[in-house]
Amino acid sequence: MHNQPAPIHFWRWFDPRSHKPGTWAFILNRITALGLTLYLAMHLVALSQLAMGPAAYDNFIQLAKTPVIKLGELLVISAGMIHGLNGIRIALTSFGIGVRIQKQLFAGLMVLVLAGILIFAFSMFGGA
Amino acid sequence: MVDEGSKPKKREGTTLWLLKIIGGLLIILLLGIHFVINHLVAPGGLLTYQDVINYYRTPIVPVMEIFFLVFVVSHSLIGLRSILLDLNPSDYLLKIIDRILVIVGSGASIYGALLIIFLANKGA
Amino acid sequence: MSGIRWNITLMVSRQQTDGPRTFQSFTLDVDPEEFVLDAIERVWAFQDRSLCFRHACHHSTCGACGMLVNGTEKLTCITPIKSVTQNDAVLKIEPLRNFPVVSDLVVDMGQFYLHMDAARASQVVGLAEACLPFEKEPFESKGKKFERLVDCIECGCCVSACPAAHTSSSYLGPAVLAGIQQSNNQTADINLLEMADHQDGVWRCHSAYECSAVCPSNVDPAWRIMDLRKKIVVHRLKNLFRRKETIQHA
Repeated sequence: MHNQPAPIHFWRWFDPRSHKPGTWAFILNRITALGLTLYLAMHLVALSQLAMGPAAYDNFIQLAKTPVIKLGELLVISAGMIHGLNGIRIALTSFGIGVRIQKQLFAGLMVLVLAGILIFAFSMFGGA
Repeated sequence: MVDEGSKPKKREGTTLWLLKIIGGLLIILLLGIHFVINHLVAPGGLLTYQDVINYYRTPIVPVMEIFFLVFVVSHSLIGLRSILLDLNPSDYLLKIIDRILVIVGSGASIYGALLIIFLANKGA
Repeated sequence: MSGIRWNITLMVSRQQTDGPRTFQSFTLDVDPEEFVLDAIERVWAFQDRSLCFRHACHHSTCGACGMLVNGTEKLTCITPIKSVTQNDAVLKIEPLRNFPVVSDLVVDMGQFYLHMDAARASQVVGLAEACLPFEKEPFESKGKKFERLVDCIECGCCVSACPAAHTSSSYLGPAVLAGIQQSNNQTADINLLEMADHQDGVWRCHSAYECSAVCPSNVDPAWRIMDLRKKIVVHRLKNLFRRKETIQHA
């Protein structure tokens, strides 16, 4: 079954070799989707600390200020920007708007994402 | 003559897909509001328990946050279902997946909404 | 031809149906202006008569010679050797992905052709309909009616490149969906929209655009899939506000 469609070939979704920007966008969108879903679950669990009173929440916030967690949050923000902006591109092209310039749209959006990441990185770590 | 029972389910794509896309666009809007208000406008950036309680006193806040939660959970799980559909599950497996997703989605939404209402009541 | 000669190694996939895949190397002296299919033919003619591959027209009309060349889908009769390799380098040749292998580089396109048939994709259409709306017509028709062959040569390169088709055998695929769009353009038949409007039709596409990137024949299947989506959504919205159009059966 090597050459036929099979669920096990899902790894090919994430193989950027020999592929074009459209597929890179697809790969990024899929990875960020899974990452953000995981973050959503973690965020809901973490916010349950609010139900446990001031001490629990304030302790959690102290943990959230550590560099490792802040780096994780920067990754989440980056994933959110990539997924959100690429989602706008997908929404537009899915209704026939900008299909012929989808590569340029992707490039432009990724420039915005990079700028956003730099701004957030500076804002979160720059003062340290 | 077409046998209705043997026709493949044709209509499972458009509605869910539109919900996913429109939900996604609304999430961008609500996420922007959520982020700006929570981290830039709210005094102290909601980094203490009391700040959170004070923040949830404003009636529009719990309403907005519940909508945001429901949209995000729906978009996330419809998207996850879409990825799982790419793996071509059998009809039986897909039924199980759908049930799990509905339970997880409802559970997360109800849990989150109750938490929000609890916080809003704390400040009342 | 240029008169320059290159020495290249072809690493060709050898496989029988579901058996293990191995690669066999063949060294060749080629003119870089020649096409990849020419090199494969020469391997078959002078080095290994057991090599199986498909070819027919040699001018990008029949769609028979689609293969993976260095991991990318190409129509080998119009792929110059110099565009995919260089002197003293290796050229890896494999069968198209997502189709069952019959032998070596030959894949079973039967199911694919059946789906194209179900899409009622025409081979010859009016000139205006054959061109994409944003394409300039090749010449002024001056009021006369011209017809031409449609762009899709059913080579299967788009199916091979599509990430959704890697994992889902029930996905109709870019070529069939593009065929449905073309047929629907000509006939406005809502049965065709219904054929595409399900989770293994247009809604399985995740906008990777790889199909359009590898299409050797200007079909732009991705554009056609998005156009089909628009038509389906408009059709569904219209049905919300009026009595559902009934499907006519012969």
